[in-house]
Amino acid sequence: GKHVEILDAKTREKLCFLDKVEPHATIAEIKNLFTKTHPQWYPARQSLRLDPKGKSLKDEDVLQKLPVGTTATLYFRDLGAQISWVTVFLTEYAGPLFIYLLFYFRVPFIYGHKYDFTSSRHTVVHLACICHSFHYVKRLLETLFVHRFSHGTMPLRNIFKNCTYYWGFAAWMAYYINHPLYTPPTYGAQQVKLALAIFVICQLGNFSIHMALRDLRPAGSKTRKIPYPTKNPFTWLFLLVSCPNYTYEVGSWIGFAIMTQCLPVALFSLVGFTQMTIWAKGKHRSYLKEFRDYPPLRMPIIPFLL
Amino acid sequence: MAAAAATAAAKGNGGGGGRAGAGDASGTRKKKGPGPLATAYLVIYNVVMTAGWLVIAVGLVRAYLAKGSYHSLYYSIEKPLKFFQTGALLEVLHCAIGIVPSSVVLTSFQVMSRVFLIWAVTHSVKEVQTEDSVLLFVIAWTITEIIRYSFYTFSLLNHLPYLIKWARYTLFIVLYPMGVSGELLTIYAALPFVRQAGLYSISLPNKYNFSFDYYAFLILIMISYIPLFPQLYFHMIHQRRKVLSHTEEHKKFE
Repeated sequence: GKHVEILDAKTREKLCFLDKVEPHATIAEIKNLFTKTHPQWYPARQSLRLDPKGKSLKDEDVLQKLPVGTTATLYFRDLGAQISWVTVFLTEYAGPLFIYLLFYFRVPFIYGHKYDFTSSRHTVVHLACICHSFHYVKRLLETLFVHRFSHGTMPLRNIFKNCTYYWGFAAWMAYYINHPLYTPPTYGAQQVKLALAIFVICQLGNFSIHMALRDLRPAGSKTRKIPYPTKNPFTWLFLLVSCPNYTYEVGSWIGFAIMTQCLPVALFSLVGFTQMTIWAKGKHRSYLKEFRDYPPLRMPIIPFLL
Repeated sequence: MAAAAATAAAKGNGGGGGRAGAGDASGTRKKKGPGPLATAYLVIYNVVMTAGWLVIAVGLVRAYLAKGSYHSLYYSIEKPLKFFQTGALLEVLHCAIGIVPSSVVLTSFQVMSRVFLIWAVTHSVKEVQTEDSVLLFVIAWTITEIIRYSFYTFSLLNHLPYLIKWARYTLFIVLYPMGVSGELLTIYAALPFVRQAGLYSISLPNKYNFSFDYYAFLILIMISYIPLFPQLYFHMIHQRRKVLSHTEEHKKFE
């Protein structure tokens, strides 16, 4: 067997010495052994690396495949309290669903008392509520049944950041759309119909991409493959972009903005677009790095442009 | 805040001064610095800014001597103040293109808060231009900027007199609170006039289904000073200990 010593990456203090570790043990197993001596550092918050300033080793890495001698020296960094991705997603999506409805039903203390529990006389306001609610119900269901997460956890502080963003914007948008003084779109029913079409197409598109990505990765695995178009026409966007799920998502919100003709919705779309572009570029870059034969025509998020 | 933030942005440069910015990536100190062309440009930039704020300082003194009072001196330095403070927007560009190793976000925040006070408060609300609080922050900014820009100039030329370094990391102790007070009092003075004129505000109903209350916004800005100012202030105090004691140790070994 091998020996494993774990040192603190910052102070170089010897934290743990494991003797007689199986050479084919994985980092995940070593993390579990480390937790036994330091129970406050559960495996999800451990970052183990060969070099104090280097990259984290992956859970699947095998001890004997690492460039170490009979005694492996691993450096430990505490990633801080962790929370599961599923928990974060469920919380950040349940909020907007619920909050929007508070405004839609004109719960007391939001608008003047004479408006309490009244209903808007504009059809588009009811339609907007259906669309917004549908969007977040879809996200919740996808989180529970569709998505396969490659990471189990993220830092705890993310949940506060993310929820502030989603819940805050949801409240801001919902306030104006459901306001007694709401002004319906300038071009009336035509505008709403067009916007609804965009919204529905993009929701279907986004869902199709999520399903295609799920089918790309078998349950429980962390393998990565190049996504390709399938028989579903919505997935043909893969020919032109790396992250069509983001493309469709932006499209949905643009549709919603046109439908409601509400500036805060447009601003939310813009901020979301900015963030998703950053993510898409990152994903695109890692695809290019990992796969020599990555289709050259593809752009990260907007066909031919971005 | 604008005063505090700008001084706290110990934005690094070729010669390397203390860095108070949050953008310091620990463990990856690329002491490459800007190339010769960028350095020359930055030296010119910092010299011009030092000169500009000196013009403002001189303008204040002359106006004071001419008028015999310190009231309403804003008008005598209004134009150079607007020009040179707005010009500082270039510093955001410097970070963005990488010739200054500071965080774009932090620098933007700092410069924008100054620009906001100059244009969105003092310029926009004419009635506050005669307030003494304006003089308070203008003096704080002027002294701070003269020291800061000369600090950068000397750092870039790799010849930083200890006096300038000392001044930069010491005078803030008085100048920060002074500037913050001036800024807060000015915003507070502007409030009734903003309310009265409905300045920069839009109310429902309108076709973009949006509303904005500048009065409420200004109050939020004032409240934001409460968490932000102490953080920046104590960060600079911490930097001061680091930078000035480091120099002491160097002196010992000489």
